[in-house]
Amino acid sequence: MQVMTDLFARIFGDGLSPLGLLVAGGLTMALVMALVMALCAIVFTWAERKVAGFIQSRYGPMRVGRWHGVLQPVADMVKILGKEDIVPRDADRPLFLLAPFVIFIGSLMAWAAIPFAPGFIAADLDLGLFYIFAVSSAATIGILMAGWASNNKWSLYGAARGAAQAVSYEIPLALACIPVVMVTGSLNMNDIVVAQQGGIWRWHFLHDPFLFVAFLLYFVASIAEVNRGPFDLPETESELVAGYHTEYTGMRFAFFFLAEYANLFLVSCVATAVFLGGWQPLFGPVFLPGLVFVVKAVLLVLLQMWLRWTLPRLRVDQLMHVCWKVMVPLALVCVLGAGIWMLATGQAG
Amino acid sequence: MEATAIHALLQSRFGDAVLDYVDGFEKGSLVAPGRVGEIAAFLRDDPALGFESLMCLTGLDWDGYDATGKGKSVDILGYDELGRPEAFDRVGDGDLGVAYALYSHRHGHKHALFVRVPRAAPEVASTAGVWPTAAWHEREAWDLVGIRFAGHPGLKRILLDEAWEGHPLRKDYVMPGAWEGVPLDGRDYAAGKWDESGVTLPDDVKRPDAAGQPGTGNQG
Amino acid sequence: MSETATGRGWAAQDVRRELHSELLEINMGPQHPATHGVLRLLVRTDGEIVHGVTAHIGYLHRCAEKIAEGCDWRQWMVYTDRFDYLAPINMNFGYAVAVERMLGVQVPERAEHIRVICAELQRIASHLIAIGTFGLDMGAWTPLLYCFREREEILNILERLSGGRMLYNYFDIGGLRFDAYDGFERDVLAFVNIMEQKIPEYDTLLSYNKIFIERTADVGVIDAATCLAYGCTGPVLRGAGVPFDCRKDDPYSIYDRFEFDIPYGEGEQGAVGDCWDRYMVRMREMYESCRIIRQAVDALPGGPVKAEDLKKLVKVPQGSLYTRTESSKGEIGYHVFADGGSKPFRTKVRSPSFSNLHVIEKVGPGMMLSDLVATVGSLDIVLGEIDR
Repeated sequence: MQVMTDLFARIFGDGLSPLGLLVAGGLTMALVMALVMALCAIVFTWAERKVAGFIQSRYGPMRVGRWHGVLQPVADMVKILGKEDIVPRDADRPLFLLAPFVIFIGSLMAWAAIPFAPGFIAADLDLGLFYIFAVSSAATIGILMAGWASNNKWSLYGAARGAAQAVSYEIPLALACIPVVMVTGSLNMNDIVVAQQGGIWRWHFLHDPFLFVAFLLYFVASIAEVNRGPFDLPETESELVAGYHTEYTGMRFAFFFLAEYANLFLVSCVATAVFLGGWQPLFGPVFLPGLVFVVKAVLLVLLQMWLRWTLPRLRVDQLMHVCWKVMVPLALVCVLGAGIWMLATGQAG
Repeated sequence: MEATAIHALLQSRFGDAVLDYVDGFEKGSLVAPGRVGEIAAFLRDDPALGFESLMCLTGLDWDGYDATGKGKSVDILGYDELGRPEAFDRVGDGDLGVAYALYSHRHGHKHALFVRVPRAAPEVASTAGVWPTAAWHEREAWDLVGIRFAGHPGLKRILLDEAWEGHPLRKDYVMPGAWEGVPLDGRDYAAGKWDESGVTLPDDVKRPDAAGQPGTGNQG
Repeated sequence: MSETATGRGWAAQDVRRELHSELLEINMGPQHPATHGVLRLLVRTDGEIVHGVTAHIGYLHRCAEKIAEGCDWRQWMVYTDRFDYLAPINMNFGYAVAVERMLGVQVPERAEHIRVICAELQRIASHLIAIGTFGLDMGAWTPLLYCFREREEILNILERLSGGRMLYNYFDIGGLRFDAYDGFERDVLAFVNIMEQKIPEYDTLLSYNKIFIERTADVGVIDAATCLAYGCTGPVLRGAGVPFDCRKDDPYSIYDRFEFDIPYGEGEQGAVGDCWDRYMVRMREMYESCRIIRQAVDALPGGPVKAEDLKKLVKVPQGSLYTRTESSKGEIGYHVFADGGSKPFRTKVRSPSFSNLHVIEKVGPGMMLSDLVATVGSLDIVLGEIDR
């Protein structure tokens, strides 16, 4: 947000009080984050369809927008806006209408602490990482609301599975980030990124073997958090029609989709910031930090897409087994190991 | 084992429940309808027979079958040119029957069982307890031909709707004119021919006007 | 410790009664992405565990058997296409063999060979769908597209041959409607060459994938006794370890001239008769079909494709006969009753999926909901032939 407040200070000089600068800068950043979310949805729906297409030995969208269907998401948006908005008669109306927004807000709020570039962070919180995990958990409530309010047994199944999955996988997700916090000594996202300066060998995921494993754990847990790829049981088409968003149509359904892709980008951004050096370049001085950050996050997103179209999905009990009996112990071992490594190499203190 | 030997074994065991030997393309035994269950159990459990597999269970209506082999086969009824269901005044009087096709994996031999029951009281013992697969086949025979299977765990319609009336594969089955208010017959609305006797159309069904031609949007 | 109304204390059953816990009755279908057609499965579940399954069929009933009584023997052939619309040739084959056996007519050699080639191509095409949609049920989206890519080749050949991609109208009583096109053998051999290279591709992507194995091994185990009792045939029976195949054990047409193996389940990844075994039986059957096709093409003679001195209006002599042939889904049987007339007196179609589906009511209870989807997918049912 510093960038924004400086910008406003330069434009308005002394015309704006410090409070005014804060408000203006904050609002602009919020707008920018919302735009980023919308852009995510647009870019990644297209990317998903193209990646899926090429993996499945076909082309994907090709017609809308001349070159490889780049305007396909726009066409999809127009189509979805034109759909009838159906609210089931026996649905719990307030919950039903509120659920997409709760999920959306849970995702949007977490964007406040993502460090895109030095100074270009909406809220430079000292508790940045913790804040992200705390706030993105709100989405679970939205899932439960959507599933319950739909008055549909399949939605209920999806919601129950989704909530169980989201809540369970938050633990290895957070545990995997703890070694990084130990190494950096701070939860502040800016500090975490700054601590990784000096080329690829200083990035956290190559810091020591335990952090490398932690990175892999985080990556897998993040796929499960976003209900994607091998962990998409809550919304599996082949069993639950569409899981917790079966009864949603039109723009409300679009909100779920928006939130899903925004979440996808969000967890990739967190992984980038925490493990992959954030806006730090591979080598040399800082150059186009925003672009570097986005490129890294996008590569992770593409990897997630690749996994989704390759692997079958896990059954719900297998999912839970992987989380509680494999990932959580492994994460705890990583925490312990990272601590011991730090002691052994004399970094603690 | 030869079919004649199987038949002889059945006859020695069940006496006059085994009515006749059926020779033809497939060889089998005609048995009494009420005893089919026991005969089936024997066929399955006897080590020399070992018919653990019921390949097929067919219900059929023997009405109009030409025993001389020059059959003209009774035409199935449809709809007349006014769109009314065709009917004839002849009431079907033939027997109903069930045919079982059996196979033994152990011995590799086949056998057929035939059962005939009068139309007025079509009751056959169920073999669902012997070959579980018969449960569904018997439901289908009840559904389409109207043969009751005594001792069946849950004899209800399987292919047709629960509320359907009549048994379509009977030779004297008459097509219904409508089902739940929807006309089923082939009314020729465009040509202006229709006969509404006996059928109530819902009010929102369009009726052809005098010029009910294709393209006027009023095809009914 | 308070006492309940029965005065027995706080026992587990009383807790459940106090909590008013009941089984959830949930409807899978008739419109549902995983039920492979218009099928309604009424599932009673306790959370994720299935306590009972009831299958409701009949949504696709088109009274084909009644229509048979109004058609000629030859005319009804096209209705058989509509039963298993994913493997129509096998349906045609069964009916043709059934009627030809009763007629006692000799089908010309060339027609027999082309019939076998078409039937085996159709078997591969049907198994490709079975495998692809099974993977789709498991969440593997990609193998479906690969399978359809190969299936496209088969459909192209069959389209050049008969004019249709899905419903062929090619078989006839006594042979075929018309001869194969020039270049038929070349196309078929080219396809078989491609197919034998693609099967390892599916294996790499799906068969030995750890997640897929976890989802299918030891899931939906149907043992041999249950299969035989419930009349399951085809890959379901063979997956349970019983190497029974109508082509070998009750031969028809010229199958006794060809050399091929019958793959059967051996519990390679889990128990014998689990979903993985049924899936693997289908994979291996595709190899065997390729073998048969090669042999049939090698031996393909010239000559007529219609039986001589078979009248246009066929009249089958009086009698009844149950004939079974091996379709991709299992044993397709036609119990034909003729009384010497030009129309069938009664043709009962014994469809493999009808009996295969029945077994789900037996093995369903006790498994999880996801496993139910996997098991139904592994049975490979087609509602067209269940409902007829």
